[in-house]
Amino acid sequence: MTESEIVAMAKKDKVYFGELYDRYFEQIFRFSFKRLGGMEDVAGDVTQQVFIKAMANLSKYEDRGLPFSSWLYRIAQNEVSMFFRKKKKNYTVPVDENRIQDLASEAKVSTYMSMDDQSQLVEMLNELESDHLDLIELRFFQELSFKEIAEIYGITEANAKMRTYRILERIGKKWNSSK
Amino acid sequence: MRKFSVNTDKKKTTPTDEQIKRQKDFARLHHEYENLTKRGKKPLYKDPKLFMLLFIIGLVLFLMFMES
Repeated sequence: MTESEIVAMAKKDKVYFGELYDRYFEQIFRFSFKRLGGMEDVAGDVTQQVFIKAMANLSKYEDRGLPFSSWLYRIAQNEVSMFFRKKKKNYTVPVDENRIQDLASEAKVSTYMSMDDQSQLVEMLNELESDHLDLIELRFFQELSFKEIAEIYGITEANAKMRTYRILERIGKKWNSSK
Repeated sequence: MRKFSVNTDKKKTTPTDEQIKRQKDFARLHHEYENLTKRGKKPLYKDPKLFMLLFIIGLVLFLMFMES
């Protein structure tokens, strides 16, 4: 059965939503888990919330030729952002060194970074506007392709690429002027 | 608010198969969905706003009746 067929059946009878849940739970849970810094229970609750919202709003979902998962990612993106907004204290998300290294070389900051440099770069990232930081996070920390990012934001792939590289350029300039 | 930090403690940022299995539960999801969508089926007279509306309508009708 194709994805569109399952979606059409789930719109008529919620029991078929279980098939969509089975297919996409792992993807969305992995996404939330990583974005929430490895907090299993919080990621589980957020993922649950994503699927409840998807189930409740399934009648509004329109098949525009994009994978169903991109709609789920979009809901997950909003749910995670809402979780961070609700948190009064800072919520720390650990990022692997090699991810920071990748970001640094793309931003033309440096090909090799010491631990101090990495911390400094992360501090710089923390000062970014939240929508810019989201884009950097999706691309470098979640390792999503530009196509996937474009599907989440409902923009073109070229636009996603352009936005990301503009932010990287800004980071690069800021880094070089601070050195 | 979210802040990033360098993962010096080597904290796992990808879930294990066991964690995925533990969190995946369609029955719970379905139950929560049912609870959410079946909420708000209070009888009309127990809803304070609707009660007030019904009361006002009743009062207006009563006054109109008394007037005539």
